[in-house]
Amino acid sequence: MTDLPADPAPTTSPFDPEGVTWQRVSLRLATARLVLAGIWLGVPLVVAAVLAIVLEQTWLWIVAAGFLVLLLWTAFVVGRQVRAIGYAERDDDLLIRKGVLFRTLVVVPYGRMQLVDVTAGPLARKLDIASVQLHTASPGTDATIEGLVPSEAARLRDRLASRGEARLAGL
Amino acid sequence: MSTGPVSPPPDVEPDAATLEKGVAADGLTWRRLHPVTPLVRGWAVIAVVLFILAQRSAEALPSGGAVLPTDNVWLIVAGIVGVGLVGGVYAWLAWLMTRYAYDAEAVHVHSGILFRKQRKVRLDRLQAIDVVKPLLARFFGLAELKLEVAGGPGSNVKLGFLRDAEAAALRNTLLARAAGVEESADGSVAVEAPERPVLDVPPGRLIGSLLLSGATIVLVLIVVGSSVAAVVTRSGAPFVAVFPALLGLGPFVASRFTGEFGFTGAISPDGIRLRRGLLETRSQTIPPGRVQAIRLRQGLLWRRFGWWRVDVNVAGYGVEADGNQTNTVLLPVGTRDDALRALWLVLPDLGVENPVELLDAALVGSGGDAGFTSSPRSARWVDPLAWRRNGFFVMGRGLLIRRGRLVRTVEVVPHERTQSLALAQGPLQRKFGVASFVMHSTAGPVAPKVPHLAGADAASLLRAQSARARYARQHAGPERWMQTVVALPDDSRTDEAFADQPFPDEPFPDEPRLDEPRLDESLPEAFHDEPLPGTGHEGAR
Repeated sequence: MTDLPADPAPTTSPFDPEGVTWQRVSLRLATARLVLAGIWLGVPLVVAAVLAIVLEQTWLWIVAAGFLVLLLWTAFVVGRQVRAIGYAERDDDLLIRKGVLFRTLVVVPYGRMQLVDVTAGPLARKLDIASVQLHTASPGTDATIEGLVPSEAARLRDRLASRGEARLAGL
Repeated sequence: MSTGPVSPPPDVEPDAATLEKGVAADGLTWRRLHPVTPLVRGWAVIAVVLFILAQRSAEALPSGGAVLPTDNVWLIVAGIVGVGLVGGVYAWLAWLMTRYAYDAEAVHVHSGILFRKQRKVRLDRLQAIDVVKPLLARFFGLAELKLEVAGGPGSNVKLGFLRDAEAAALRNTLLARAAGVEESADGSVAVEAPERPVLDVPPGRLIGSLLLSGATIVLVLIVVGSSVAAVVTRSGAPFVAVFPALLGLGPFVASRFTGEFGFTGAISPDGIRLRRGLLETRSQTIPPGRVQAIRLRQGLLWRRFGWWRVDVNVAGYGVEADGNQTNTVLLPVGTRDDALRALWLVLPDLGVENPVELLDAALVGSGGDAGFTSSPRSARWVDPLAWRRNGFFVMGRGLLIRRGRLVRTVEVVPHERTQSLALAQGPLQRKFGVASFVMHSTAGPVAPKVPHLAGADAASLLRAQSARARYARQHAGPERWMQTVVALPDDSRTDEAFADQPFPDEPFPDEPRLDEPRLDESLPEAFHDEPLPGTGHEGAR
């Protein structure tokens, strides 16, 4: 128990710890994010374009173009973003990896877990996905796994909750 | 668990009004707060009414008017009396409905007039106890007890107001019970654990530190800038524009001054005792093992005087809404020796062989001094100023983090207090093969982070640190700290105290020291026999 792991051989990326098999999330998350982006960017795009035609204002076309660029960019990256999300259950902690450009890897020890949330909004329910969030005593812990199949979310929730209990310590 | 009636502290007879007759069916002795409580609580309302009256009189006087408008004076008086009456009755009812009791396990508080609330706080979850005396309460000799637990915002318990002696006795009792000290058979209550002062801040140094703080510099810049602008533009408009900024900065400096005036820090078996305050005084007790992270910081202007400020994260304190955190200060301003002493209060044993050299490297060093792992040379493109200084050192008891070139920062997180860990890497960082190592601590001013480590260093630190945290957690002392150990070194000086500790070759000793009881568990008297830290602080050279 006192043995710490020997220094690992230099890996290609610090975000790929050795001996970790990453679990992927459902690609339906990409659909969900696209729909949301469509609502938040597509609607203003249409409004700006319509206003530009009606009011014959050139600068409104620039606004519309801005929204279009954002929308296309989102459509371009969203798939890669979702594929970049991974999580892995190890014996004593949960690893969560995400991000393409700005990458993060979070390690949450089970013994530090205070509570687990499973949430699903209307869109997520329609797409049959849910998200699981782990809370520790630290507000800085950003441990959310989005785009899980509900059965997997429930399994993960129960698994994490039981592991947390077994290893629960004070703060 | 039934403990029977709890007898009051021997030297403090509770007021007849504050002790309810008889013992309730639940075996608890229910008490009320001091009857003056509504008055002290409601002073703000009274003050506002008086202020408005005074203001109106002041406006009326120069114009030769009467102190009050004569025609409807009775209406105003009646209104004030009416509002006062309603407020007074409400406050009195609130006082009547608030009762508290405590046993060996928990503190119970019942309150509320229409919406009743019953709150029970487990003593082994206690993170800190504050005794707060607002200015008006001091006139009445009253104090408020704040019990901090780590239940998020609004989770603390305020018992106020109580008589000074009563509050102190209650604090001692609760701390003794939270510590797991068993009470003697006759039911006598714990006396205050002895303490040894180790830190203080002279008023001159506090004023000097505030004059040289960032807020003051901004203030001076604003005033100078707006004066120049006013001269150039020949109008008062610039002053008007910066006025809101001044309004924000003034109170910040003022609250720092009044909040941290007369600061003293002491060590006792109960933990760290802090006292401070000019108008409202506050004395805090942070039991051992409750500090989640500690930060030593030195601004650019403080460097000349060698001053450091020490902040801590304690789970119960959280973050205050106004961002002007004063209750998480372990040392508002102090010399290097003071700062190291503050660190020693939290971690008496760092678990290293060469603490003097190591702390020197941490405070002012850079590069690979004393075994620090710092950012690789490629990090100079992402962090040209501080890349040599960013670094970490793994100690036996915690992770030592060093960063900041202009504002020197040193952070220590005990291994067993690690919540979760993370790596973060932006596109620029990836290009230069570096990543930042982030530690998540409880809410508070300290957010430990090692920026721009070489990728391999960051990965192996993440891996090793989670293993260390797990091991330290499994072998950490109990929540009831007196049940096993009082981690007071018998003879202590700051650096020398660190230096004496043997450090095993393994990152952790095979037999964790914390598991070995060093103190007779049953006797509160053992508190007093335990040698306290000496006063001969030679400090760091």
